[in-house]
Amino acid sequence: MSGAGLGTARLRRAAARTASVAARSIAIFVPVFLVATFVTFALRSLSGLSPAHLQLGESATPESLARIEHEWGLDRPFLTQYLDWFGKVLSGDLGTSWYNGADISRLLTEGAVISLSVAGLALLIGVVFGFGFGILAALRRTTWVDRVITGAMTFISVMPSFVVGIALVAVFAVSLDWLPSAGWVPAERGFGLWLAHITLPAIALSFDTVSDVARQLRAGLVAAYRENYVTGALVRGLGPRRIFFRHVLRNGIGPALTVLGLKFPNLLGGAVVTEAVFGMPGFGQFAAASAQRGDVPAVQGVLVVSIVLVVVFNLLVNLILARLTPASARGV
Amino acid sequence: MVRRLLALTSGRIAAVILALIALLALLGPLLSPQDPLAGSADILADPGPHHWLGTDYLGRDVLSRLLAGSRLSVLGALQVTVMALLVGVIPGILSVYLGRAFEWVTLRLADTLIALPFLVFAVAVTALLGNGIPQAMLTVGIMVSPLFFRVSRAATLSVARSQYVEAAIIAGASVGWIVRRHVWTKVLPPIAIALAHTAGVGFVVVSSLTFLGIGVRPPAPTWGGILASDLGFLSYRPWAPLLPTALIMATVWACNLLADAIRDVSGEAGRALLDNRKLRGRLAVAGRGA
Repeated sequence: MSGAGLGTARLRRAAARTASVAARSIAIFVPVFLVATFVTFALRSLSGLSPAHLQLGESATPESLARIEHEWGLDRPFLTQYLDWFGKVLSGDLGTSWYNGADISRLLTEGAVISLSVAGLALLIGVVFGFGFGILAALRRTTWVDRVITGAMTFISVMPSFVVGIALVAVFAVSLDWLPSAGWVPAERGFGLWLAHITLPAIALSFDTVSDVARQLRAGLVAAYRENYVTGALVRGLGPRRIFFRHVLRNGIGPALTVLGLKFPNLLGGAVVTEAVFGMPGFGQFAAASAQRGDVPAVQGVLVVSIVLVVVFNLLVNLILARLTPASARGV
Repeated sequence: MVRRLLALTSGRIAAVILALIALLALLGPLLSPQDPLAGSADILADPGPHHWLGTDYLGRDVLSRLLAGSRLSVLGALQVTVMALLVGVIPGILSVYLGRAFEWVTLRLADTLIALPFLVFAVAVTALLGNGIPQAMLTVGIMVSPLFFRVSRAATLSVARSQYVEAAIIAGASVGWIVRRHVWTKVLPPIAIALAHTAGVGFVVVSSLTFLGIGVRPPAPTWGGILASDLGFLSYRPWAPLLPTALIMATVWACNLLADAIRDVSGEAGRALLDNRKLRGRLAVAGRGA
């Protein structure tokens, strides 16, 4: 009886803690979202671009320019335009492209499916190998295993993702011919084919995450092993497995998870470059192409979506962190 | 500090590499054996006595292009660093003194900037606001400035509320003396580390943007642009990306090495920044106060 009572009390406390962390994180991210979207919107006025340039090119006369700007509602006051745009953004409508009049939300969803499958696989690789190498280095600290891993992680951390991408293409696609060098196949057309196409880009994208997570995790775990509670646990005769999982991992994992949260914007940014290397029609390619065409609404859509993704991902990491290491919720 | 830095092997290696890169940037365009823009009939040639690193798909001398492109990369990294320094440090120090409202606003702005994917923003801003690497670099500089904001703010906080500074004031020390003796010794090492780190980021961003062809006009030689054109001809010259890659990696590595070396020689103040990695992580995840 009393055991069950204790259980629900603990559950309630955990739920309350999660809710408070969520509330605090949202209080921080709402201003972030507002400021970032405002800057995004202001880009059009700052750029001085208008759909007329795309549609008319050099032949634009002042009259036709004014007519087109009126059609797009660009002659209204700045604030009216902003509120109109922001209201639509909140309902998921990102407007239409200046370039081909297509619905940006739909274009972005198509691109995001590609980019998120690559980023997801990259994240998976980053977590598996980052944690694997980090834990291995920490368990074998100060041995040659540790030194080799640390050296390798430092080496791959200075490789920009497009450099890794080119190296992978040169080795695995051109020389060995194991995997395709470019392109994208939807998962419906065959899981194996889909995986083959996203493997190299995902590896290229994951290097940065692997090295940072591994180094942070190693540092965190090594520091935790030096704590008195670990010595105490040893003295009490607890086994190495129990010490590792109950005492060391839980206390040393914080920085690695935090870095993982930080890496998400990098994965999005990296997508712009890796998608160019591997010729994938994803989010990043869409961003680069729209930016070069001067298609402002499309670029704004890309920015809004990346802001939302980053904010949501950070929120998730905050919640996981609060669950694993309650001290992090106190803001220490 | 410079002498102690050079006493360290890692510090010396970093200094030599960075000095070489700086020399390349200064003299590279003059050293080019051939016109980096001039094509020839000799396309995709292997390295030989005439073209030491071979030629690209338009028959242009790769070595000359590499040398000519070094200036843009170094300038870009410098622009990022200087911009981030200016935009970050001044509000960072002021946020401690100018009251709660200013503090709140600057903290929120720093949270916002650090949360954004800066490569996506750099691409957007460069293409929309005028097509040039300098604009892109200034944008990236602003977006990475929260690092400097946090570092200088933390250092200022630790100085402003410390008892030895109060003691010095009571003892009648002049402001100039306190700044020289206490503030600089605390603030400079963390900022130097952040500078080296940011320069590395700057190199990666410049090469990424030039690789995408954003911010540069096609014939202009850039490290990233050379890699991009190599990518299309990998089956003819699979070794071609090696040298530009090595150049980019060596530069970034030297920057990181320098940052670590500064941390090692700056003792207490540097170790305080060691925690700043955690701090950087935390501020991006939440920014729960300073």
